[in-house]
Amino acid sequence: MALTGRAGLLALIGVLVVGLLLPSWQGILLVLAVLLACVVLDLLLAAGVRRLTFTRAGATSVRTGEVCVVELTVHNPGRRLRGVLRDAWAPSAGVVSDRVPVEVPAGGSRTVSFELRPVRRGDRVSDRVTVRSLGPLGIAARQGSHVVPWTVRALPPFHSRRHLPPLLERLRELDGRRASLIRGAGTEFDSLRAYVIGDDVRSIDWRASARSSDVVVRTWRPERDRQVTIVLDTARTSAGRVHGALGGLPRLDTSMDAALLLSALASHARDQVDFLAFSHKVRASVPRATLPVLVQAMAPLEAELVEFDARGVVVEVLRRAGRRSLVVLLTSLEPSIEHGLLPLLPALASRHRLLIASVSDPAVHAMAAGRGDLESVYAAAAAERVLAERRHLTALLARHGVDVVDALPDDLPRALADRYLSLKAAGKL
Amino acid sequence: MTAVSPDAGRIWTAARGPLLIGVIILFTAVVITLLRGSGEGGSLDPRSFRPEGSHAVARLLEQNGVRVELTDNPSAVDGATLFVAQPNLIDPARLSDLSRRAAATVLLAPAGATAKAEVETRQPGCPLASKAGAATAGGFVYEGEQRCYDSTLVRTGTVTMIGHGGIFTNRSLDEEGNAALALSLLGQHERLVWYLPSAADRSQQKSLTDLIPDGWKFGAVQLGIAAVVIALWRARRLGRVVPEPLPVIVRAAETVEGRARLYRRSHASAHAASVLRQATRDRLTPLLGLPPGEDPSFEIARRTSRSVGDVRALLYSEEPVDDRGLVALADELDAVENEVRKA
Repeated sequence: MALTGRAGLLALIGVLVVGLLLPSWQGILLVLAVLLACVVLDLLLAAGVRRLTFTRAGATSVRTGEVCVVELTVHNPGRRLRGVLRDAWAPSAGVVSDRVPVEVPAGGSRTVSFELRPVRRGDRVSDRVTVRSLGPLGIAARQGSHVVPWTVRALPPFHSRRHLPPLLERLRELDGRRASLIRGAGTEFDSLRAYVIGDDVRSIDWRASARSSDVVVRTWRPERDRQVTIVLDTARTSAGRVHGALGGLPRLDTSMDAALLLSALASHARDQVDFLAFSHKVRASVPRATLPVLVQAMAPLEAELVEFDARGVVVEVLRRAGRRSLVVLLTSLEPSIEHGLLPLLPALASRHRLLIASVSDPAVHAMAAGRGDLESVYAAAAAERVLAERRHLTALLARHGVDVVDALPDDLPRALADRYLSLKAAGKL
Repeated sequence: MTAVSPDAGRIWTAARGPLLIGVIILFTAVVITLLRGSGEGGSLDPRSFRPEGSHAVARLLEQNGVRVELTDNPSAVDGATLFVAQPNLIDPARLSDLSRRAAATVLLAPAGATAKAEVETRQPGCPLASKAGAATAGGFVYEGEQRCYDSTLVRTGTVTMIGHGGIFTNRSLDEEGNAALALSLLGQHERLVWYLPSAADRSQQKSLTDLIPDGWKFGAVQLGIAAVVIALWRARRLGRVVPEPLPVIVRAAETVEGRARLYRRSHASAHAASVLRQATRDRLTPLLGLPPGEDPSFEIARRTSRSVGDVRALLYSEEPVDDRGLVALADELDAVENEVRKA
């Protein structure tokens, strides 16, 4: 049951009646009785909400920040229903307006649609559907809730996809369609074709030219069908919020963006991508990942307040990757790596090539540049100490043959992709 | 970065305004109290020693065996003298009831005067006050059976009306025959009820609810009911509140900031200085094309106008620095780095 503003208005009119006409307790009782009678009458005549049935349709996944539509159909087996309907979602589902006026004829059904613009990645679950059915006088209403489950998966936004066209352009340059490229260690023979002006003379195949009437050049293509294993650290350090151009995002989200760009690029380069999310146990695992499967797998991942289990991840990678592969570990360069991951590197590095990508914090760099007063200088010293630790770690890892990409959140996806391309060009996969 | 707990300086800055206002209020109150002087009671108060008070006449009456009862709400007046200092403040019906029950009533400047009169020394001119003789009289002129002092003191039955209260005050009691007249008026019986009505006389007070018309009262009750109905309307939610499952997010730089505050609290200037020196060396060494860990002092001195010794002292000195020295050191390290980058 619910009252409406009209009930309040009626009670206010009662003030005039009591004040001017019937200034007595009897007057008050009379007004109260009239009010009560109207409320009871309205409640009796309002359509029931208990017997309503609901069905849903519409989007089940949407890229974070974009709009999708979820439809809700109300079936009314009873009297004509007039009132308000609220389809409740958590705030981060970004429902533009979750309450709508509804009017469902007796025995009929109506469909209302709600626009969702999720502001945060993850599964957004609908809460209850509540209907307030007004009586004919509009003084009181019956109200009830129904559970109509629906989940919209907000996918990672993949902001860095704008970097993809120039990266693909670079990939094509590596490809044999351009004979001007110098044959490198990481290329394999593709085909022979006629020389055109502009081709590198060093790529002319003299033997083949001798056999044919034209000058023939060899074309090369980069190595293919290599394996790239992307390991995403979802442990405590990935919960750190770092401010970039898109505002404060957890390291995890930036790492995901970088992983998505890398996997998009790798699949264009016809490499096989395996994805693994790991904290103290496997959170998600996608072998032979394609981009749509990958974003679905990433969407519900959240950072956990547990320590990253380096031994576990090494065992897991060694178990999965049968042949030599590029293992890209998206984590944070913290001193804990020195005790956790470093002793295990020989086992991993003997079979695979390891690349560590880390989101560095612009706030720390800003603090390191602070001067002027004592507080800033102490902050600068603390920041410099952290930066020195990172430099030390990078050097230590490099000594073990590990590549490190340590970049600001806005630059990391591009920097990681560039490093992948240069590794590919050098044939180090 | 900012410490949230306020220090002494901040507390003083925030509190000095209110504190100043408090001191001013206290000072003003003390000054006003001192200037107003001591002594309680107003005019014609038998407890008051002030010139316009009446302690003297009350004391005289007690010496003559009259019991003086000061009240602002008389009830038992039977057989007593009733002295009403301000009869105009009292409900007339109640006043006439009181004066009927009292053995004698003295009203000071009541309503119903026929004229005004100058306050001066007048002759009695009637048997009633002939013993007292000349006295300070005036104020108002009344009609009555016995008229004295040019009709400024009249008596009708047991009720005496007097135009001016000068004869009862400490100031004028010793003048002329004032004391005798006051004693003869107030000391007629063994008991004197000294009625000093206040503006908020309880006897004629009505409660606020008695004064409000019924329509307003019951209207207010109905208004309360309306407020409850409106509250019920507004309080009813359309479905429950949906909680937001929030992910774990912490500021990544929080630990660095915490460490900076620890440095500052423990005045770890020596440690901070060595970290800053190390950082500058680490940045300059690759810039100068030297292998990591190499001493860049010589190369720096070669490219700038500084001497090798100065640069080495700046980059490697182990001498302790104080807080101020640390700020200067940071600036100096920056200056060297900028010079090298420009060169």
